[in-house]
Amino acid sequence: MKNILIQACQVCKTFSGNGQETEVLKSVNTTVYKDDFTVIMGSSGTGKSTLLYALSGMDSITDGSVTFLGKEMHTLSEKKMSKLRAKEFGFIFQQTHLVSNLTLFENIAVAGYAAGIGTEKEIKEKAEALIIKMNIHNAKNRLPSQVSGGEAQRAAIARAVIGNPKLIFADEPTGALNKANSEEVLKLLTELNNDGQSIVMVTHDIRAALHGNRILYLEDGKILDELLLIHYGQDNLKEREGRVSRWLSSLQW
Amino acid sequence: MEIKTLLKAGLKKHMGSLTGIFVLTFLAAAALATVLTVWTNSNRYIRSEIERAGFGEITAWISGAEDTARLAENMESLSEIERVEVQSLIYSDYMVNGQESDSEGQLITYIPQEHRYRFFMDNFSAYSDEPKEILQGEVYVSPSMISMFGVNIGDEITFPIARAGKNLILTVKGFYEDPFMGSSMIGMKGFLISEADRAAALSILQNAGINALARDGAMLHIFPDVNFPTVKSALTASELNSLLNEQTSLAEYTENVHSKEAVTGFMLVLENAFCGLLIAFVVVLLFVTMVVLSHNISAGIAADYVNMGILKTIGLTTGKLRLIELLKYFISILSGLIVGFIAAIFLSRVISDATLTTTGVFIPTTPPILCNLAAFAALLLLLGGFILLKTEKIRKISPMKAIRGEVNSKNDRIIKIPAAFGKWIQLRLAFRQLASQRKQYIGALTTAVLLVFFASLVSRMNTWLGSDGKGMMDAFNPADHDIGVQSFGELTQEEFENTIRSYTDITDTYMLAMPSVVVNGVDYTANVIDQPERFHILEGHTAAADNEIVLTEFVAAHFGVSIGDTVTVQGDAGSEEYVVSGIYSCANDMGDNIGMSREGYLKIGMNHPNLWCWHYFLADTSQKTEIAKALESAYGGDIHVHENTWPGLSGIISAMHILLVFMYGMVLVFILIVTVMTGSKILSMEQKDLGIYKAIGFQTNHLRLTFALRFGIVSVTGSLIGTVAAGFFTNFLVSMIMKLAGISNFTSALSVGNTVLPVGIVVLLFTGFAYLAAGKIKKTTMTVLVSAE
Repeated sequence: MKNILIQACQVCKTFSGNGQETEVLKSVNTTVYKDDFTVIMGSSGTGKSTLLYALSGMDSITDGSVTFLGKEMHTLSEKKMSKLRAKEFGFIFQQTHLVSNLTLFENIAVAGYAAGIGTEKEIKEKAEALIIKMNIHNAKNRLPSQVSGGEAQRAAIARAVIGNPKLIFADEPTGALNKANSEEVLKLLTELNNDGQSIVMVTHDIRAALHGNRILYLEDGKILDELLLIHYGQDNLKEREGRVSRWLSSLQW
Repeated sequence: MEIKTLLKAGLKKHMGSLTGIFVLTFLAAAALATVLTVWTNSNRYIRSEIERAGFGEITAWISGAEDTARLAENMESLSEIERVEVQSLIYSDYMVNGQESDSEGQLITYIPQEHRYRFFMDNFSAYSDEPKEILQGEVYVSPSMISMFGVNIGDEITFPIARAGKNLILTVKGFYEDPFMGSSMIGMKGFLISEADRAAALSILQNAGINALARDGAMLHIFPDVNFPTVKSALTASELNSLLNEQTSLAEYTENVHSKEAVTGFMLVLENAFCGLLIAFVVVLLFVTMVVLSHNISAGIAADYVNMGILKTIGLTTGKLRLIELLKYFISILSGLIVGFIAAIFLSRVISDATLTTTGVFIPTTPPILCNLAAFAALLLLLGGFILLKTEKIRKISPMKAIRGEVNSKNDRIIKIPAAFGKWIQLRLAFRQLASQRKQYIGALTTAVLLVFFASLVSRMNTWLGSDGKGMMDAFNPADHDIGVQSFGELTQEEFENTIRSYTDITDTYMLAMPSVVVNGVDYTANVIDQPERFHILEGHTAAADNEIVLTEFVAAHFGVSIGDTVTVQGDAGSEEYVVSGIYSCANDMGDNIGMSREGYLKIGMNHPNLWCWHYFLADTSQKTEIAKALESAYGGDIHVHENTWPGLSGIISAMHILLVFMYGMVLVFILIVTVMTGSKILSMEQKDLGIYKAIGFQTNHLRLTFALRFGIVSVTGSLIGTVAAGFFTNFLVSMIMKLAGISNFTSALSVGNTVLPVGIVVLLFTGFAYLAAGKIKKTTMTVLVSAE
């Protein structure tokens, strides 16, 4: 029996503008389990990122409910929500989104401070350790504008994990990276998952999706199907790739 | 066509910031046009009214002349003099509403045929017709009597013409406009009375003999012959005065002589001083407007960087793009100027109405079109040139770079002090954000510097003035004192000192007289003192020896003399040469006075027993009003008591308080606009960073606090610079304005009110408004970080 982290029931999200209403999420029901590397796939415009932000509480929902460890998230006060984001969640974005005027080291450490993981010294030590782990030691004192996309994204991953979150949300983390950097980032995420870190990742890249052990397929605002796999690296990669491809083909991907 | 379309789009897109520019320009223009209107109109009006009412190039106030008509004829016989007009008057002290005047009043006989004066409706809404006559028992006074003594229609004014209660009691019938001495800044006051009352007063005087308290006299309005060669070749008023003293017996009877220019100066001293200050403030506001404009243009170009690149690729030239920017801001500025000008018409009317009881005259409110047009045209040229200069950077936009999103200037400087995390993280982050985007805060910093500088400057003036106007009194008095007593009769010094001592001890005393003397042919008031070391000496040393004299810097400049030079002084007993031993400060008669020792004066002047006024310093100064009342009550007309104040002082203190309120009001509006405009731009630039901070767990309140702290840090820095600058430059700048009023000894001192208060207010306003402006952070969602699917 897997432990449930997030439970989404009948989640709807409608965007209004110019007198028109667009229903992006249509009564979505899903669950995010502890220790899983959950991947949300789908074609462009199907509401993948919208679902991710609805599950993480970063964006409001129009209807339904999302609970984290049994607690309804969308009724939490801003203060409690901020605490939740600081202590329980980590975020990785496609465009890295590091604070422009802080160095990579500071970007990581500030998140640790916000999460309240320890003293200033302890935070520094942990940030240093993560920097070594992410292999960005040489770039740690540079601003985001002075490093490569891969280095920035690795710093973003370090920022996401410094607070020991229960769950990491990753929105197209390899979308803006070249192949080598993409593989590096996915490798890091897989290692984290293998160490017990729960992850929810949005992607439209089949190679990235292969790293998950559970793939949700979203179409037209609804979860059409899901595929369960064993954890990455524990099976034959070619076979895994074939299985996912066939599944996606069956969904007319 | 394309310019029209792009201009429309630009106006729509930048409506917020353009509205801010409009408001700033409007406020600055309204203040400028109001000051120009009040200043120009009051100066023009006083001059034209003095002309119309028939006051001469110089006017001599005389008394004791047995045959005034003959004296006038003698003067008219000089080739340089065209004519001399005589206005009969009686000099008398007066009491009104339980207050005794500290300067003599002048009971002027009203002659309707002369059409000298204009009269007000009872509610001051307009002028009324001249009365055909003034009835016996009635008197018309200047509206400044309202601010000086709280006079109303129906009040009684008592003029002690002679001892033993021989008073002339007149009832205030109405108010008239006196362009010659109507201002509350002038101690002497004119009272228009009937011929019958003049006759009655003269009759009392003739029978009173040595018991007379009032004096018969006249104003001689002297008109030079402008066609006479020496007059034509610019004979100055003092040269004319000197000529008359040399060739007629005028000096024997003179109480005061003032030129038309000097009287205009007396009348306008308050307007000129405050208009000068306000113009300085308007300059500060304009500078702030330019700083904000500069920030907006730069931010606007940065925001439209890509669009401008695209427009260049489709053939729009740099010139056209700059023209669009120029027009965009010009529309906003021009609208501000026009609305500001219209507002100034109403503001001028409000000021004219509000100052009537201080100035004594209706200042016309029709704006001087040419003057305002010239000022506004200069402003437009200045701002237009400034916009063109600031839009020069459009030339550097490379179409391809812009489309690719490459910005020319990247802020890649790493600033790591203080550390971005740890205790006081909001403050640490505020410092970091500030340091990395310092250019964005230059506008706010400059605004804080300028506003605190000016606020501190005016507050220093307010400190100098003091809550009771002591600073001003010290400037006008040749020497300090708490109370002055002048005896006119047989009353001995011992008697009135006993009365004073029954209230409090006398800690110190000295004697002062203020006779008229002729210095190098020109009439001046002499401050004669038995303890010359009490003079406020600015340079050199006091007139300690009996052959020494001290001059104000204005008199010294007039004669072109300096310390060590000699001047000839003529009194009522002879003439002597004196060495200028020093420059002293005394703003009486707008600085037209000299100082001498008692011994020095007695070489040329008679030692009349009533000449001297005893000045006292009291152990308990709070008793001085009670002592004055007791002395007046005990000795009536035999004594004149004055405290270290004068009725016009309250007008100055009120004006200073109004200026402070007005200035802080403008400071509030300007800081609000600057903070909102700068803050909005910064917030919109930082949307992504704010989203990131929220995503990693920062609360809206923390981010708002961080944002407000940045403005707090900027305003503290700016305020400190402004305070230091005010410390260095206040004395120099304010002295220049004060010299218009004859005050040459302005020195400001530090106080909580003039340092901490302006800084506190400005910092609080910046921080508070920034916190409010940062309210929109609450609306910043983390969806700004969502990538397009």
